[in-house]
Amino acid sequence: MASAAPDLARFPLLLRAAHIVAGRYACAVPLISIRNLTKRYGSSITALDGLSLDIEPGIVGLVGSNGAGKSTLLKILLGLIGATSGEATVLDLDVRTRGTDIRQRVGYMPEHDCLPPDATATDFVSHMALISGLPRTAARERTAEVLRHVGLYEERYRAIGGYSTGMKQRVKLAQALVHDPRLLLLDEPTNGLDPTGRDEMLELIHRIGVEFGIAIIVATHLLGEIERVGSHLVAIEGGRLLRSAPLGEFIEQTGTLAVEVDEGGAALAERLAADGLAVLVDGRAVLVDVADGRPYDLVRDAVADLGLPLVRIERRRHRLEDLFRDAPIDAPATPGLTSGSAAAGGPP
Amino acid sequence: MTDPLTAVTPVAGANGPTGSIYDIGYRRYEGTRLGRGHAIRSLFFHSLRSSFGLGRGGRAKIAPIILGILALLPAVAIVAALTLFAQFGGGTEFSDQVPIRYDTYAGTISTIVVLFCAAQAPELFGRDQRFGVLALYFARALRRSDYALARIAGFIAALLILELVPQIILFLGRVLLTTDIPKAIGDDLESVAPVLAQSALAAGLFGGVSMVVSAFTPRRAYAVAGIIALFTIPNVVAGIVVGLGSSTIGTWLTLISPTSILDGTNAFLFDTRLDSDFFFVDLPGIAFVAAAGVGIVGSIAIAVRRFARIAT
Repeated sequence: MASAAPDLARFPLLLRAAHIVAGRYACAVPLISIRNLTKRYGSSITALDGLSLDIEPGIVGLVGSNGAGKSTLLKILLGLIGATSGEATVLDLDVRTRGTDIRQRVGYMPEHDCLPPDATATDFVSHMALISGLPRTAARERTAEVLRHVGLYEERYRAIGGYSTGMKQRVKLAQALVHDPRLLLLDEPTNGLDPTGRDEMLELIHRIGVEFGIAIIVATHLLGEIERVGSHLVAIEGGRLLRSAPLGEFIEQTGTLAVEVDEGGAALAERLAADGLAVLVDGRAVLVDVADGRPYDLVRDAVADLGLPLVRIERRRHRLEDLFRDAPIDAPATPGLTSGSAAAGGPP
Repeated sequence: MTDPLTAVTPVAGANGPTGSIYDIGYRRYEGTRLGRGHAIRSLFFHSLRSSFGLGRGGRAKIAPIILGILALLPAVAIVAALTLFAQFGGGTEFSDQVPIRYDTYAGTISTIVVLFCAAQAPELFGRDQRFGVLALYFARALRRSDYALARIAGFIAALLILELVPQIILFLGRVLLTTDIPKAIGDDLESVAPVLAQSALAAGLFGGVSMVVSAFTPRRAYAVAGIIALFTIPNVVAGIVVGLGSSTIGTWLTLISPTSILDGTNAFLFDTRLDSDFFFVDLPGIAFVAAAGVGIVGSIAIAVRRFARIAT
C-alpha cells in the first residue's frame, strides 16, 4: 500500500478521468424505466396517474409543483412504497421484487428533517455507512472523505443539533453519498436554504453529477435550480408526465421576436400587422412571429419610419415556467402567438 | 490509517521542509459490501451502545450511568459487608443468610430495571420516529422487520448486561472470600442456570414491553409514563381486586403484570416460595413462565407489525 502511494499520486488527473468515464458509462440499460405507473392513496387521491418514461444517467431534474407526485415517485423507485399498478425498474432491477438490492445501490436524501440532534455528523454518517453494508474501517474512511466533499470540516465532531440548516442539508447529502451509490435521489435538496446556501448546494450537486460520475435525480419545485445544474428535465403535474427532454430543448429559442418601445407600441403593432406579420402586444413589448428572416428588416423600417424610441429587440426563449403556464405541453404547438411565448412544441 | 492518495507525502531529503498535498477528488468505493446481515448486526450494536448513552452526548449518559450504579450497589455492598465480616472471623455461614442472594437479586433490582426501561427504551424507538431517521434506515438494505428486531434485541441485550453484571460481581465476591474456592464454585454452579434463565426472562419481558410502548409513542414523555404505568398499575389493581374478594380476576390481573410474572418465574426457577402476603394467588410456577413467554413473543410481534405499517 505504502509503496504504491507515490505512483498513484503522480497521476491524479488520470485517475480522476478514469473514474468519471467509469461512472458515466457504467449502465447500458436505461437507468430508470417506468411503465404505466399509478399510485392511489385510498379511493380519492391519485398521486401518480399512468406515468411512463425512461431516464438516462446524468443530472435529471424532476420538476413539478407541490403535490405533483415527485416524492411519491422517488419512494416507489426506492421500493419504499408499492405502486397501485404499472411497473418500474431502477438499474434494471424491478422495484417490486428487488427493493433491497436497489436500496444498496441508491442514495436517498429525503425532503424532511432526518437527523438525530444529539449525534455528531461523523458518528451519524459512519453509522449510516455501516447500515449500508460497508465494513467498519471503510465506513470510517468514506465518512471522512464524504464529509470533506460536502464541505464539513471541524464542525463534523459537534452534535448535529447545533448546525445551521445549510450544514444539516450537507449531512443529509453526505449520508446519501457515503456508500458510493450508482444513483442519488435528492428530494428538494435546497429546501430552507438562503441564496448562498442554495448556490453552494447546487454547485455540490453539479460536482457530484459531473465530476463524481454519479447519476442524480433532483426533485424540486424550483425550476430555476434545474436550469442551472440539470442535463435533462422531467416535468410532471398531477401525477402525469408533462414532458421529458434534454434541458436544452426546454430553453431553446422560440420563434418570437420581442420589440420593446417606450411609446407608440400600438402604432408599431398596427404597422407590422399591415406588413403581414402575426403581431401581439404584451405590455410595452410588441411580439412578432419570426418564421423567417423577413421580420427583422420590417421591424427596423417600421421603427425608423414611425420615429419610435426603441429600447430593445430580442429573441424570446422558453422559460421553464412556461411549462406550467402553457400546459398541456404535448398538445400541438399553437399557430401564431400566445401571450408571452409560444407553446413548447419543438423548433419552429 | 493513512490514506495514501490524499496524504501529505513527505519529500525525501534532510532539509526539505515541504511536502505535497494531493487531492484526487472523488474516489469510488470498490471494496466489499456486506449487505443485510451486516446492517442488522450494526444496528444491534448501535442500539446496545445507545442504551447506555454511548455515541451520544454527555447528557444522554447520565440516566444509564446512575441506574447502572444503583443496579450494582446491592452486589457491591454485600460483597463489601462479607469482606468485613470475614476479616473479623465471621466464617462463611453468614453468606447463606444474607438477604441479597442469586434468588433475590432480580427482584431486588427490578425497580431499577423498570426505570432503566422507562428512561432508555423511548430513546431508541422514539428518537428515530421523532427526528425522521426511520426514513433513512428504510431507504437502505434493511427490511422494516430487521430494523424493529435489531433495535429490540439490542435493548434486551443491554438489559441482560444490567441484570447479569451485578450477579457476576456477587459470584466473584462469594467465591474469592471463602477459603475453599473450588467448593464455593461447585456450590454456586447450580445457580448458574436459574440466574441466566431469570435474567433472560426479565430482560426479554421488560425490554419487549417497554419497546412496544415506545414504538407507539414517539413523544418521549408519554412513552416514559406509559412504560412505568404498564409495569406498576396491573400489580396494584390485582392487589385491590383480590383484597375485595375476587381472586379469579386477581389471578388474571397478576398474569398481565410483568413484575408479578417475573416474581413467579423467579420462585419457579429457584424453587423458592412466593411471599403469600404480597402474592395473592396460587398458580403453578410454569404458568408464570408461559405468561412471560407469551409476553415476550407478543410484544415483539406487535412492535414488528407497527414498523411494517408506519409511514415515513
